[in-house]
Amino acid sequence: MSCEHVERDLDSYLDNELDAATTMDVRGHLNECAACRRRVNEREALGRLVRAVPYHSAPDRLRARVLAETTRTSSVRRLLTWAAAAVLVISVGGGGISLWRSAATHGDAMVDQVVDSHVRSLMASHLFDVESTDQHTVKPWFLGKLDFAPPVADLASIGFPLVGGRLDYVGGRPVAALVYQRQRHTINVFVSPALSDVSTRADVRSLRGFHIHHWVRGGMSFWAVSDLNEAELTQFCGALEAS
Amino acid sequence: MPLRAFEETVLPHLDAAFNYARWLTKNSAEAEDVVQDACVRAMRFLSSLRNDDARAWLFAIVRNTWYSRVSRRANMADAMPLDSARDARLDVALDPEERLLQQHTVALVRAAIEQLPVDFREVIVLREFEGLSYKEIAAVVRVPIGTVMSRLARGRERLMAVLKLTAAMETLR
Repeated sequence: MSCEHVERDLDSYLDNELDAATTMDVRGHLNECAACRRRVNEREALGRLVRAVPYHSAPDRLRARVLAETTRTSSVRRLLTWAAAAVLVISVGGGGISLWRSAATHGDAMVDQVVDSHVRSLMASHLFDVESTDQHTVKPWFLGKLDFAPPVADLASIGFPLVGGRLDYVGGRPVAALVYQRQRHTINVFVSPALSDVSTRADVRSLRGFHIHHWVRGGMSFWAVSDLNEAELTQFCGALEAS
Repeated sequence: MPLRAFEETVLPHLDAAFNYARWLTKNSAEAEDVVQDACVRAMRFLSSLRNDDARAWLFAIVRNTWYSRVSRRANMADAMPLDSARDARLDVALDPEERLLQQHTVALVRAAIEQLPVDFREVIVLREFEGLSYKEIAAVVRVPIGTVMSRLARGRERLMAVLKLTAAMETLR
């Protein structure tokens, strides 16, 4: 691979948007070319600078205004919306249903539940019961609180630090929720004993703007939920599976 | 119920919507108005939302809302007030000197991003702050993925050039 190729793919490489083979090619070139390495380092430094600029969170008064306004509109709209939905269902038959937000179309209530739980954990400022970046603190914390020991791995070395854990209740049973951070994005990993010992490969879904990965390994069922982009969540889940 | 669906689907992404609107408008009060209008639209079009893409879908509505407001205005440049309300939250654990330095750097980087043309600015915000994939950005901005790629690359290059120039100017002081 030449310097021109690397230069062309620089952003895609840093944004994890290249396929595995091209990524390897770029890495190979970087091992040998100091000039390109410098370019990559510079771009990475720029990314860190940009992300250090504080996030603009929505002011509380905006949240209140939005809720007040939508509550008002919804009472008027409700009738119209249902009428529209009815027309839609009648006109396109069963296919129309799939346009409507519903977990039923996924045929899996668990997906809906883990997303609910993820959203709740972010909104109610109840992200942790135990706040620690140390897996040796988080793991023992679950002892006596659950009838299983969730495997706890720290992935700080690849940019996904563990930040804490909490007890949660998903799918009709208590589960361990492990909380990881990637820049501004929170990843909740829900762990509970699997119904069967058979390991499965990651099942990837999306719901309400969140990505969900589910897999079974070592008799444990894992659900990872985040608004992190698909490529990075896949990288995270791969590392967690391999840990 | 639409309201409950709205609370479950749209409200969790209110911060993200506001952050994006704030970078588009460069003004807090206007960003609030844009997000408010966008939420009312989102509520109305909730039934058109498929399961998987609420956040990107909301970004697209925020973007359309902002563009239609801007195009309604006679003179876009005049109507865009300068950024007055900077709400930088800084790490209080730093000592005063470090804090000043950090404050200074953050202000420079923020100013450099705000100076970028909006086409470049928004892809950088969606990528760096929201972590959207190229495909997701392409859907929000409604351009091909290749365009997202080139806008990101050119935006970052401009940013780099501006920041290097700023750093060089500082040494001359």
